[in-house]
Amino acid sequence: MDVLDQLGAVREGKLSRRKFTKGLLAAGVALTTMPVAARRAMAGPEDQPTYFTWGGYDIPELFVPYQAKHGELPNFAIFGGSEEALTKMRGGFVVDVSHPCNQAMPRWVATGLFQPVDPSRLSNWGDVMPELVALDGNDAGGGNIWMAPFDWGQTSITYRTDLVEVEGEESWDILWDPKNAGRLGSLAAGADAWWIGAIKAGVPFDQLGTEEAFEKIAAVMREQRPLIRTYTDDTTTLEQALASGELVAALTWNSSAALLRSEGVPVAFAKPKEGALTWVCGVMIHKDAPKLDLAYDVIDSLLSVETGKFMINDYGYGHSNARSFESFDEEMLAGLGLSKNPKDVLQSGHFQIPQSQEWESRMNELWEQIKAGF
Amino acid sequence: MTDTSLLPDQTADAIAPRRRGARLTAMLHRRESLRGYLFMSPTLAIMAVGIVAPFILLLTMSTWTRQGFDFDTTPTFANYLRVWSEPIFGALMQRSFWISGVATVATVLVCYPMAYFVAFHVHKHKMLWLILMTLPFWTSYLLRVFAWKVILGYEGVINSGFLALGWIEEPLKVLLYSQTAVIITLAHAWAAFAILPLYVSLEKIDRSLLEAATDLGDGPVRRFFRITLPLSMPGVIAASFLIFIPTTGDYITPALLGGPNGQMIGNFIQLQFGPVNNWPMGATLSIVLMLWIAAIGLAFLYLTRVARKRLA
Repeated sequence: MDVLDQLGAVREGKLSRRKFTKGLLAAGVALTTMPVAARRAMAGPEDQPTYFTWGGYDIPELFVPYQAKHGELPNFAIFGGSEEALTKMRGGFVVDVSHPCNQAMPRWVATGLFQPVDPSRLSNWGDVMPELVALDGNDAGGGNIWMAPFDWGQTSITYRTDLVEVEGEESWDILWDPKNAGRLGSLAAGADAWWIGAIKAGVPFDQLGTEEAFEKIAAVMREQRPLIRTYTDDTTTLEQALASGELVAALTWNSSAALLRSEGVPVAFAKPKEGALTWVCGVMIHKDAPKLDLAYDVIDSLLSVETGKFMINDYGYGHSNARSFESFDEEMLAGLGLSKNPKDVLQSGHFQIPQSQEWESRMNELWEQIKAGF
Repeated sequence: MTDTSLLPDQTADAIAPRRRGARLTAMLHRRESLRGYLFMSPTLAIMAVGIVAPFILLLTMSTWTRQGFDFDTTPTFANYLRVWSEPIFGALMQRSFWISGVATVATVLVCYPMAYFVAFHVHKHKMLWLILMTLPFWTSYLLRVFAWKVILGYEGVINSGFLALGWIEEPLKVLLYSQTAVIITLAHAWAAFAILPLYVSLEKIDRSLLEAATDLGDGPVRRFFRITLPLSMPGVIAASFLIFIPTTGDYITPALLGGPNGQMIGNFIQLQFGPVNNWPMGATLSIVLMLWIAAIGLAFLYLTRVARKRLA
């Protein structure tokens, strides 16, 4: 019986008031439950895999080939730092694909939570730059790898060219300059900030584990803390604050500078004379990935040229697919702090090297205490 | 013949359950406490599964220690000793108690007049007034926190308003990313939890007592302090508890608005379960926090009781 029919029945006095109310109730229930179902379908239905990634990577532009093939986006789960992500997965959160960086990858592998990636199942594998695959601890044996490289870039200073005076060469000192007190921002995760401390303190990355290194880095981080307005893992917060002039400089990745520049904010992504922090991130497959075939399609989509062009052009990150760089000239890439040869960039800065779990825990513990003011 | 032989069995079967049922009814009639427990059983079950069991887990975990990726499960008080000996934990707890204490006092002070007005001066549509007052709380907590970020922000409502009026030269920075921001937001976010208990306790006050006080020569101020305030103390106490306990462990507001100096113990506990990856320490901190809240609550109750006796 449809609605009009019911209304007619009421008018003719055939339908009791109680029955009509019941009809209304049913309609109400239907109305309230329908949008929920529809919304779920839009957010990503249950037959799609879950991609557990950094904020900002949950956008359709990175999944054009995937969407063309499957008609929908994968499901997204977001983390702010890779230690947080690992802790969640160790706590039982099962995803299909996740997104660590080279420094964390051996520790992720050591948890036994991941399965090797078989490159022969990826159609774009032939174009992936080999130097990004050959990372410490990435060999899973039998031609397999643990992490398929996806993006690479730098952690450096995004600063307002109109609000910060740089004398001479750009330097990490910008983030330690008392003139900028209360107008500096920083990424909150130790996976970035602590390493910057090491560069600032002049500690080589192969000596990070020594007692002296911990003391030296802690000292520079404590020196910086009173100058910092906010530590956050949310890059949007930093970008908005830089755009409004609330912050004049912040520790960010490439994308913040690229996004702000595209909006016409006068910012520069510094090339500090001490060297920036460089890294390669990639994707790993969970050992219990419920949708393994689709997981490979997610990875293949991330490695595609379409995705790569977006990553370079809009986010200013390097991509692992060599062909992604073909439509960009050297000059434009240099402006973004990139190069067709990733080694040029990765080796011009300080490339992160994997550390032990003990080191990671100790560093994070100390870092959180310093951030809290101790 | 077969029929009659079956008969006794059948009757016995039919009577037995009735008798058992009758015994149960009789027992329920006789034992009041049993009836009470029966009524409470759904709640008790939820309490056991949702509170007691996790608490035991927490207590057990707090005696473990972290070891690389795993836990060393030999029981030890090492974590408690660390909480005792390292100043950071005490300092963060103190800060949390200070922030949520100020927020509690502010909320009760702001909400008391509102509840007073509805209880004494509104005669029609009281429900509507209450609903209107608590309307902002129909939105999500997170939305309210972000709303305050917009109000207090660098280019926020307050700063741009003051700038337009020419009261300030450049935006005030203390508004956001400070303890003040956390206190303001907490005080607003939990206001509904103060208005309702305050209203109920004020509404219950016998109006004839107020008339008697006036007849005996008390002015409005004296009458308020001698009659209204003491009689509404249960509401004040309930409101204080309802706000103080959850805000001490709050972590969303300080995380979004607190800045480096506005971080509270809740943030530190969250970090233990996240990047710091020291779950036993997080469990220990949670338990110590619970003990402290209980102690402060008891002290507060005792003080109000003493104060009431003095007044009486």
